[in-house]
Amino acid sequence: MSSPAATGHIDHHHDHTTATGIPNKKLLWWAFLASDCMFFGALISTHLVYRLNPPPGNAVPTQIFNIELTSFSTFILLMSSLLMALAVNAIQRGNIRSTRTMLLGTMFFGCIFLGGQVFEFTHFVEVKKMTLSNSIFGSTFYTLTGTHGTHVAIGVLLLGMMYVRTFKPASGGGLMLNFLHLLAVAVTFGVAFIWFVPGMIEVIYGASFPELLRHHALPFAAGIAGLVALIALGRARGAVEFGEKNAIDVEAIGLYWHFVDIVWIIIFTAVYLLEYL
Amino acid sequence: MSAPATTAAAAGHHEPSKFHFYIQIAMILSVITGVEVVLVYLPIVKWFVVTALCTLSAVKFMFVIFFFMHLRWDKVFCTILFFIGLVLAGGTMWALLHIFGADAAKPLTAAALETARLAVA
Repeated sequence: MSSPAATGHIDHHHDHTTATGIPNKKLLWWAFLASDCMFFGALISTHLVYRLNPPPGNAVPTQIFNIELTSFSTFILLMSSLLMALAVNAIQRGNIRSTRTMLLGTMFFGCIFLGGQVFEFTHFVEVKKMTLSNSIFGSTFYTLTGTHGTHVAIGVLLLGMMYVRTFKPASGGGLMLNFLHLLAVAVTFGVAFIWFVPGMIEVIYGASFPELLRHHALPFAAGIAGLVALIALGRARGAVEFGEKNAIDVEAIGLYWHFVDIVWIIIFTAVYLLEYL
Repeated sequence: MSAPATTAAAAGHHEPSKFHFYIQIAMILSVITGVEVVLVYLPIVKWFVVTALCTLSAVKFMFVIFFFMHLRWDKVFCTILFFIGLVLAGGTMWALLHIFGADAAKPLTAAALETARLAVA
C-alpha cells in the first residue's frame, strides 16, 4: 500500500509503488472474490436446475419458506453492508473510535442474519421435516444457503480479528490481552447467533422468554460473561498502532463482507422470491 | 482516539467523508428490496415480474459493487478482474441451465419412473 507521503496524505485508491497502481492486498481480494463468484455460480445453478425440473417427491418451497423472516434478514444484511462502508469511511479519515463502533455494528448485524438462518434451518428440519438428505430440494437448498452462511460466519470472525487489532498498543506487546479480547468477541457473537437471536425469534413467534432462559442458561451466562469482558477490554488503553495507514486492511475485509451481501441479493431473488410466482 | 489518528486528523489530509452518500445508497437498496417483496404478491403477468425481479437484483448488485465496494473510485482493472469471474460464473449458469433443460436430462415423473422400472424387470 502507499506509504504516507511527506504531506501526510494517503491515497486510498491508488498505490504508485505497484506495477498495476492497485494495492496488492486489494488486488488479491478482488481476484479471490472473482473466483468465489464461480463457486457460488455453480451452487446457484445446481439449485435452479433441480427447481426447474423437480424430481418426484420433491418438497414444495412455498409451504416451507417464511418470506417475512427472509426479507427481514435481507434488510439486516444490507444494513450491515452500510455499516461496513461507514467503517471503511471512518478509518480512511483516521477516526478509530467510529471504526470500532461500525465494525461492532457490522458484526452484530451479521449475527442477526446468522441467527435468522439458524432459526430457519432448525424450523425446516424439526417442523417442516426437510433434511439435507430426504429431498433434492433440501440438499441443494441447505448446501447453497449453508455455504453462504459459512461465508458470513467467516466474515464475522475476520471482522472480530480486525476489531481486536485496532487495540494493539503502539508500544508493542499486549499479545495475551489481544487473545483474551478475541476470545471475548468469539464467545459473545457465537452465543448471539447460535442461541440468543434464534431464541428471540422464537419469542416473537410466541415462545416464552423465561422458558428460553431456562433452556439455554449456560450459553446465555457464557454470552453475558463474554459481553462484560468485551466491554471491559474495549475501554481506551492509550496510544494504539492502528490508524489511517491500515485503511487498506479494513477495506479488504469490507470487500469480502460486501461480497457475501451481493451473493445474498442473488440468492434472495433466485431461491426465495421466484418461488412465489 | 489513538495518537497517530489524532496527528493525521490534525494535518487535515483525509479522504472526503461519504457518510451521507452511503446512507442514501442504503436507503435506495432498502426501498428496492421492499419493492421486490411486494412485486411477487401483485397480480401481474409472470414474465413481467420475473424480468422486474432480475433487473432490480442487478441494480442492487451494481450499487453495492460500484459504491460500497468502491469500484467507482478504484482503478478500472479491479472492475475488469471481478467481471471476468462474474462473466465466467454467468456463463457456467447459462450453460448448466440449458444442458439440464434438455428433454433427455429431465428427471422422470413418478409414473414414468415406475413404468421404466417395470420394463427393466
